[in-house]
Amino acid sequence: MTKMKPTLLMFVGAALVGALGTDALADTATTSASQTGGRRQNDLAQQVAVRHRRLLVKNRFEVTPLFESSIGADYQHTVGGGLKLEYHLGDMFSIGVIGVGSTSLHTGVVDKVLATLPDTPSDTSKDPSKTQFLDHLNSIPLHGAAYISITPWYGKLAAFSSAFVAFDFYFQAGVSFAQLKSDCPMSVCNDTHPGTSLPGQNDMSIPPDNDPKNDPPLNDGNRVGLYLGGGIHVFLSDFLALDMTVRDYAFSDNPSGADYNADQFVGTSATLGDDNRFLHHLFFGAGLSIMLPTTVKRTP
Amino acid sequence: MIVALALVTSTAFADKKGSKPKPAPTAGGGAGAGSGTAKGGGDAGGEIEMDSDSGAKGSASAGAGAGSGSAVDSGEIQMDEDQNKPGDLAADLNANDQATAVVKTGEVKKTPISWKDIIVVIRKPFLKVRRTELNPFVATTMNDNMIRHETIGGEFAYWLTDVLAIGVEGQYFVHTFEEPYDLIARQARRLPTVNQYNWSTALDFHYVPVYGKFAVLDHKLITWESYFTAGIGVGQSEVVPRDKAFPGFTNLLIQPNIGVNMRFFLAKWLTINLGIRDYLFIDKYEPTNRSTMSNASASDAQAHADSAFVNNIMFQIGLSFWLPTSFEYTTFR
Repeated sequence: MTKMKPTLLMFVGAALVGALGTDALADTATTSASQTGGRRQNDLAQQVAVRHRRLLVKNRFEVTPLFESSIGADYQHTVGGGLKLEYHLGDMFSIGVIGVGSTSLHTGVVDKVLATLPDTPSDTSKDPSKTQFLDHLNSIPLHGAAYISITPWYGKLAAFSSAFVAFDFYFQAGVSFAQLKSDCPMSVCNDTHPGTSLPGQNDMSIPPDNDPKNDPPLNDGNRVGLYLGGGIHVFLSDFLALDMTVRDYAFSDNPSGADYNADQFVGTSATLGDDNRFLHHLFFGAGLSIMLPTTVKRTP
Repeated sequence: MIVALALVTSTAFADKKGSKPKPAPTAGGGAGAGSGTAKGGGDAGGEIEMDSDSGAKGSASAGAGAGSGSAVDSGEIQMDEDQNKPGDLAADLNANDQATAVVKTGEVKKTPISWKDIIVVIRKPFLKVRRTELNPFVATTMNDNMIRHETIGGEFAYWLTDVLAIGVEGQYFVHTFEEPYDLIARQARRLPTVNQYNWSTALDFHYVPVYGKFAVLDHKLITWESYFTAGIGVGQSEVVPRDKAFPGFTNLLIQPNIGVNMRFFLAKWLTINLGIRDYLFIDKYEPTNRSTMSNASASDAQAHADSAFVNNIMFQIGLSFWLPTSFEYTTFR
């Protein structure tokens, strides 16, 4: 009976491996046989996947000038350039910072809405004017992150069966920061007490106007939030790599600068009725990574 | 199986660079392993315990499998039955890696060799030629900030060669509205003009220019490939009326598409695919001046519809099931 168990386990393990084709299960089956059968096994399973591998990132400093563009922005595309600095503590872990300066471009939504808005709406209209709509939008002239990165996957690919290049996938997490900017002049955003009453004469108060169109947008300033990223290095040489990344800078924002929560005024966390909310800002980045020092070592 | 064990020994216990090759085991008359870049696999046989009744055969086969010496029959340079098990892609990969360390016996010719001379990308571990791919998938919109479409679909593809396939796909769409759809209405007091998509189908061609492998956590090897897709098809969109009092209308769309995808091989009959597809078409939208006096009916609204060119970019992910479920190589390793 005791001899039947390992045999059965090996059979079940082999069947699973055959069905799923995963060497994780193969490891399990082999381990079971080794432990229960007491036989020495080939230790290839314990070996690293690749020998004599070029350590393309280990203990190297990575400098990456990059281009970055927002993905699926609601009101303003953010397009810019920046720099990524990263030090690879080992073959798998690294720390880094990234900073990007950007300019903003209207999305198609903004263009279409603007085309239908009046220049000067009537006093009784709730439609915003073109100026009111535009001046409430914010932009992101500067953003970035500090992060730790893990590179769990590395490999080699063949392109058109002729070009053989190394690559790795990495994932990043950390803290994001963003400088938000909006510029609504007093001639447009002239409500000095949005959402609140002001004391008036003869114990009378001045009630709020319940018109968010003339409220300050309150969507500028600095923000700190979360950062997530994932990308790929494609090594063109021992010290040059094409770096492509999808990044998510998540922080509190109100891109339209208008009343989000339908309380008839624009507020922040410092006032009442905060219209900012935690939003994800997706970006795609492409850059050229320079690895220093320029020479690489190999694993045994 | 014995051949595989011999191959394992020649790979798993390679000596340090620069070490001299050791004498090969002579039992069984095998030609022996361990010269050149394999660096002495000859002493590795003792690391694996074999049954006594198979030891002699094992040694013999080890020698044979390890080189192309006199004891080698060309017919023996074939995968054994274990390696041909349907669906055992991982085992085949391991055997393939081990085979790359097998070297010829005889006098060592010492030539300066660069690492660039060694091509690490192995023989393709997955063959697709003359196989049929059944690919159920789901997809979601990537570039529309008003309306999000999610689809469930599938594709039948037949691989004419290992890099070229022709297929037929179909998708059914469901939709939800994004945050700006409501915000624009409330904040700018403008009702967005949007169309929903109902279904689409297409004839696609796939071409695979890139394949490779990667290691996960320095231990597990996974092979993958990247391929381009181009196709032509039809689909249906439907106007979402801004005012529900007026009827919408549908449009039949001619939809070329292009895309780039990645495929990860899990077994000889199973892969995971993910990719991005851009469906390009000219869509017709509800006219802005719609009232009881103007464009009230669906036919009138369609006759005066506004046209726009659309890139509907979608992210797709799915599984592929391959028929037949296994394949055979037609060339030696």
